[in-house]
Amino acid sequence: MRGRLPLLPLLFLLVGGVLFWLAQGGLLGVKRSRVNAEIEVALPIFIQVAMAGGDRYLAASWSVVRALVTETSHMAPEEYQILGQVQKDASWLNPAHEDNYYIATAILPWEGQVDPTQVILRRATLARFFDYQPPFYYAFNQVHFKGDAFGASEWLRQAAEKLPDPEERVTLADFAARWLDRTQDLDTAARIVDAMAAQAKRKDFADYLRQRSQRLRDLAVLRRAAGVYSERYGQPAGSLQELLKSGLIEKLPVDPFGVGFAMDAHGLPVFRSGAGK
Amino acid sequence: MLILVLGMLLVGVAFLAASFSPRQPKTVTMDVGFSGVRFSLVLFAVFWVQELVGREVERRTVLYALAYPVGRAAYLLGRFFGVLGLLAVAAVMLGGLLWLSVVLSGGQYVQGYTVQTGWPYWLAIGGLWTDAVVVAAFSLWIASLSTVQMLPVALGALFAVAGKSLGAVLDYLERGADGDQELAGRYGPLLQIIQYLLPDLSRLDWRVWPMYGIPLSEGAVAYGLLLAAAYVTILLAMAVMTFSRREFF
Repeated sequence: MRGRLPLLPLLFLLVGGVLFWLAQGGLLGVKRSRVNAEIEVALPIFIQVAMAGGDRYLAASWSVVRALVTETSHMAPEEYQILGQVQKDASWLNPAHEDNYYIATAILPWEGQVDPTQVILRRATLARFFDYQPPFYYAFNQVHFKGDAFGASEWLRQAAEKLPDPEERVTLADFAARWLDRTQDLDTAARIVDAMAAQAKRKDFADYLRQRSQRLRDLAVLRRAAGVYSERYGQPAGSLQELLKSGLIEKLPVDPFGVGFAMDAHGLPVFRSGAGK
Repeated sequence: MLILVLGMLLVGVAFLAASFSPRQPKTVTMDVGFSGVRFSLVLFAVFWVQELVGREVERRTVLYALAYPVGRAAYLLGRFFGVLGLLAVAAVMLGGLLWLSVVLSGGQYVQGYTVQTGWPYWLAIGGLWTDAVVVAAFSLWIASLSTVQMLPVALGALFAVAGKSLGAVLDYLERGADGDQELAGRYGPLLQIIQYLLPDLSRLDWRVWPMYGIPLSEGAVAYGLLLAAAYVTILLAMAVMTFSRREFF
């Protein structure tokens, strides 16, 4: 027995079909959201915590996942700023999060977000007292992006103290001393290296550091002489030999590491490796 | 049953979350898993209180129980300790599942700083259980006075979120609110009062020890437990007082 056609459902079916067809056609002309839409907003910390049911660790994990799944290779500068804020917030919520400081270090400073990276690394250093890597990366960023050799050396020594292996500790402490070579205030740098030597447990390493501080003092003497030379003759000395001939120095210092000293293009004495030779 | 499935699902999500971690899959599993266990235990707490007390009052079946020669206080406390026991079973079960997920996550990868799956892990689970117990006590108090269906569940969940958020908010303001003096000035004094009314449930979250090996001070655990026990005592006392005077007709 055939019943009557149900009119109302048929009408809805028809209307639904037409609307679906219209919507589908309309969507074809609408551009899709960008892949990295997930990193377009940095929510206030309170809202992040509330959205995670009050659980700050869950809020941190969520932010780190957001940072991880973001396509970072084609982001606009302001989006890197947001990414920096998201990761900085995550480090506030859970400063010990390993992935957070690791991803931040790998991406942010290279895209101009040095300050948020340093905040994240500073927090991680405090929370992860057993982990040498946050202060190590902090030191690297400090010297590489900010040109602060003193600060970098200090943080690198912190990193060295956290290393479990004594040999590695010595190697990193050596790096800390070397980075001081890059600073302009050589007398202070030499004093810091001397202080490091005084703290060194191993005598051979202490001797090595003292040689390094002597080397810095020698360079400081050369630079002072070069300054006097420029004032006296109205132009910088062309080479270290000219400084010697002028009588401003008694003899050329001997580099205990065999690298030696040189004069850069502006008449400033530098370590030979620093002159690019 | 549904919440149990949800809890198991959350532990499964925690296991899968490890794949998002480049260097610490086990830590991420544990981190997300603890959040999932806490979420499930809180839901268990509020729904069980609603089921064992709220619904009985609502259907008036409570009168049959009270017809026996037991005091109202004994009835209420009996139900509460029943919920406590059930919560303990759920905590051990979900904790065991999560433990297994943590051990298995990451496959062959050996992470630089490993997690602790011994008693620091179970202490953290114990903290989450204590957290749920406080929420259960709060829901019980609401159930003892509520005449609105599902109010113990709704307010219990709200209490759980507010109590857990309190620590992060206080911490934020204590550290200067990112330089926002106005915010710190406006809400600082208010929060000083609130923290004496609402328990800071984040003080019962001890996951940093199993996850990162950051030791907890004895004071942190002892005061956390004392805070929870004292608050539960207050809530139970209030619940008993309200329930004893309550008229069911």
